[in-house]
Amino acid sequence: MRGVPTVLITVSPEVSAQMRPPRALYPKGFKIGNSLGRPGMRDLQRTVLRDALTLLTQNTRPGEVVTREYAEYGEQYEPPRVKSK
Amino acid sequence: MTTLSRKCVPFTPFDGDLSKATVAIVTAAGVHLKDQDPFNIADELGDLTFRVIPEDVDSSHLMVTHHHYDHADADSDINVVFPIDVLRDLKEEGFIREIARKHVGYMGYTMQLKAMYEGTAPEIANEIDKGSRADVVVLTGG
Repeated sequence: MRGVPTVLITVSPEVSAQMRPPRALYPKGFKIGNSLGRPGMRDLQRTVLRDALTLLTQNTRPGEVVTREYAEYGEQYEPPRVKSK
Repeated sequence: MTTLSRKCVPFTPFDGDLSKATVAIVTAAGVHLKDQDPFNIADELGDLTFRVIPEDVDSSHLMVTHHHYDHADADSDINVVFPIDVLRDLKEEGFIREIARKHVGYMGYTMQLKAMYEGTAPEIANEIDKGSRADVVVLTGG
């Protein structure tokens, strides 16, 4: 099996970072269940998906989650935190 | 203090051009076709199976079975977790070249991490590898 490049869109950046994904985008303040934005916000959904795919062509650091802000999303939510041991 | 995975990062470079790329979606958000078996939410250990979603799927034929996040928004617009129509838009505008022939949904909650990591994950990768024609994969959670 050959490898296939991946990019993750996550709304739980701390949790995802633990698994050290090769490339990941955190749309800041998006709630769980809204990885691409809110229902029907097609322009925003397109922007988020383009941004995620574009990470494939950029010099990102493997294991790092890139945060982007999208004002058009509206009300922001706190992501789940990883409990410290 | 956050504990990081000690496994090496499985980084596969992408040295291509997105406008020539074929893209697949793999989601942990519990997405499947309405006429496929739903994920088993009764099993507290989780469900290690996955569903293959065809490229020409009508997004209104998709649904979510997952009891560890509020999927009311996905119920009204599946694209918030499984952006198949969004991907079609990006193809239309020439941002990507093609939609992969196969996509995958599974229920990203499990108490059987080892089985998920060593069983389900490589099975999904194999499924994408054979016959989907995907050059890149977009992963989403709930």
